[in-house]
Amino acid sequence: MNHISRLMSLARSIGFAVVLLIVLLAINLVLNPARFQPGSWGALIGLAAPLVGAAIASTPVILAGRGGIDISVGPLMGFVNAMLIQVLFLKAGIASPLLLVPAALLIGALVGAANGFLATIARIQPIVATLGTYLILTGVTLTILPAPIGPAPGWLKALAGPWSALPLAAILLAWWLVRRLPYHDQLMAVGSDDRAAYTAGVDVTRVRFIAYVMTGVLGGCAGLMLTALIGSADPNIGPTYTLIAIAAVALGGVSLAGGRGGVAGAVVGAVDIFLLQSVLTTFNVSTFVLQIAYGAILVLAVMLTALQERLAMRGR
Amino acid sequence: MPARRNLFATTKARVIGAFCVAAFLHLAGTVLIPGYSSPFAVRAMLVLASLLAVASIGQTLVVIMGGIDLSIPFVIGFANVVAAQLYGDGWNFFLVCVLVGVLALIIGGLNGLISRSLDIQPLIVTLGIGMVVQGLVLLWTAGFPSGSAPQAVSSFVSIGGSAGPLPVPWLVPSLVILAALVVLVLERTPYGRRLYALGSNPGAAPLALIDPVRMWIITYAASAFFAAVAGVLLLGFTGSAYGDVGQPYLFQTIAAVVVGGAALVGGRGSYLGTIAGVLVLTEINTLLIGLGFQPSAVQAALGFIIVLLVSLYGRERHVSATI
Amino acid sequence: MADRPADSRGLIVRDLVIAPGASPIAKRIAPGEIVGLAGLDGHGQELFLKMLAGLAPPLGGSIALDLPGRPREITGFRKAVSNGIAYLPRDRRASGIFPTQSVLDNFAVSTLSRDTRLGLISPAARKTRYDIYREKLSIVAPRPDAPITTLSGGNQQKVLLARALALEPSILLLNDPTRGVDVATRHVLYDVFRELAADGMALVILSSEIEEILLLCHRVLVFRENEVAAEITGEEMNTETVIAAMFGRAA
Repeated sequence: MNHISRLMSLARSIGFAVVLLIVLLAINLVLNPARFQPGSWGALIGLAAPLVGAAIASTPVILAGRGGIDISVGPLMGFVNAMLIQVLFLKAGIASPLLLVPAALLIGALVGAANGFLATIARIQPIVATLGTYLILTGVTLTILPAPIGPAPGWLKALAGPWSALPLAAILLAWWLVRRLPYHDQLMAVGSDDRAAYTAGVDVTRVRFIAYVMTGVLGGCAGLMLTALIGSADPNIGPTYTLIAIAAVALGGVSLAGGRGGVAGAVVGAVDIFLLQSVLTTFNVSTFVLQIAYGAILVLAVMLTALQERLAMRGR
Repeated sequence: MPARRNLFATTKARVIGAFCVAAFLHLAGTVLIPGYSSPFAVRAMLVLASLLAVASIGQTLVVIMGGIDLSIPFVIGFANVVAAQLYGDGWNFFLVCVLVGVLALIIGGLNGLISRSLDIQPLIVTLGIGMVVQGLVLLWTAGFPSGSAPQAVSSFVSIGGSAGPLPVPWLVPSLVILAALVVLVLERTPYGRRLYALGSNPGAAPLALIDPVRMWIITYAASAFFAAVAGVLLLGFTGSAYGDVGQPYLFQTIAAVVVGGAALVGGRGSYLGTIAGVLVLTEINTLLIGLGFQPSAVQAALGFIIVLLVSLYGRERHVSATI
Repeated sequence: MADRPADSRGLIVRDLVIAPGASPIAKRIAPGEIVGLAGLDGHGQELFLKMLAGLAPPLGGSIALDLPGRPREITGFRKAVSNGIAYLPRDRRASGIFPTQSVLDNFAVSTLSRDTRLGLISPAARKTRYDIYREKLSIVAPRPDAPITTLSGGNQQKVLLARALALEPSILLLNDPTRGVDVATRHVLYDVFRELAADGMALVILSSEIEEILLLCHRVLVFRENEVAAEITGEEMNTETVIAAMFGRAA
């Protein structure tokens, strides 16, 4: 009993997602020490990277508030995957990372800018605007790549193996720099109260637009990591990341209403989901049980987070 | 009554606009594709549209209230598989329907209760609950659902069926009656007026004696119920159970509601608008497939058209206009 | 229901504690009386009003409606309303109007069941009921089925007052009712408040403007640090005495 209450107070102070992370990590280490040997860290991180990347990518627009959400992140990853392998690598014969990496980021930025235009300048509700992009990207991806095809350049595959920490580290470093810019304060201000921010002279439309572009660029990175992991092009995998990524963001304590949370939370949420998958896979349960546990833990986690916030409010 | 005409200037214009788009698409199809307006093709479109319309009832109600329901496709799949399985096991089909309906009400009620009472984004809650429901169904059937629909359900939705003198299956006239009932409930019952009020200003609702938790439970339960009805009808339509039969309905129900002029922030929208949106989506699908596009290209075009339509009439206000 | 003002004998506040450590408040609010609540912002007058409406739980003591033979304790907002208390919120935009809904919808939303025939709302019955209050409050709304946001702030406030009055309360709690309302409309509202009191309704008005309280109220409770610092009636009620009490000085 004492343990539970101590755990609860710990959960309250550092957040439920972190506690879940520690618990899941411990379970994983006990159940499957071989998989978590330092030697296999590269592959392990590579396995988790697309989901972590998708969650990070989903974060900026959610932080920007007023229903900001980008459900096209998953399809964007699939689109980047198809463009890199099918169009640029196999058809045009471009293999150099110096060209492919900027290409992935550029595609992401363009899609993000399109979303940003629709959501902030055309002022279509973000979920509808990005639903449109979702359908367009999925359709276009299937058109240029009707069936899975391979392979990927060798250096790209290494990004899911020994070098898997590199892209994630680059993203986190980039975000660390963004946090130091005045833009980050503006983003959080717009997310928590756009009217107040507008009255205070913040260009709300610009701040939100940039958030969509950032989501696009980060989505491009996630697409790169997805390509590295599967080592080929597959039109059907990308879209499956969409809802899970948003779930990870919510699990990590980022308020879907905007203005609260950050990339660190999204990473923790995504790692939680990854570790959970890992635990359930070790138990060798069927994918059906995996899905049940997945959904149940998602709901329970957001419920516990909400209850925890409520307790914190009452304590004040 | 000039007053009345002006009131609908926004909402009604959107609905009429969506109907016009549907009519235009149909005209374009008739010109471009031989046989587009043949009795069989029209009947097929009406049946497909009716199925989507049933599945979209719940999404309409939920969106007016200011929520969103991502569990609809999962509940459709659940009802589809459970009904087939139990009927195949020799259960009385009426009993099967009651059981499926009650379970759906519970699932939906849970969605509403959790989302509202803890103030959690319904997006996450309905997704999570939906995944659990689908997982349980898969587990129960080991991923291979069996069974079938009784003949009555099949002929109720069959494209070749007829309703008395009408050359359409009973599904279509039934939907017309159902739609009239939904419109009546929204426009003329205390529940309907409270639903709009709650979506319009959740902060003011409790002071106007509206119980938000109760409203969310009822509305999400209704949403799941109609999703279950759609699932059983789809069982009759396809003939055999399939757990993922509802997946296309995830985005299509949202698209239909939005094309029909509802705002996802709540307080606006109508079921008539949703019907118009359903017709637009069905026409686009049929037209593009008729023109020989691949399903993937159809999907891309669908996304493009949704964005185009909503940018014509579904724009939000600028921040400066909300101060 | 319509004869409620007649059989209510007012509101009894017994040893009500509105904040930790504050001394209890004991008051009686009688039918036909207009009681003002004054104080510097955040000194407890709003909390007091919300507790009367059942919107905030008391920290001690009780609030009861003095109905003949059956005093009813107020334990929640719904209970308060069903026993004849109506509350007009302060922030019209955040907790008053339903912006996408029509004037008629906004008026009828708290009393929907009164217009239903066999479960369906009768537009005619609703319109008839609305017209009574439109006349009484001289609401200027050329198109009652247009969204309420097409009305001026003063007329929106009148519609909200009509919504509260449609509950046919015996006690009306008003949270800064003339905030953001033009001068002409204010005077219409003042006349309405006086008439309601003359008909036997008890009114409690929180106002941020002292002149308004002096103009309307029979007595004023001045709040300071979550306690009633002074209760001023009749001749003694003037700007100096009220301000002195607000700042905790002897007049």
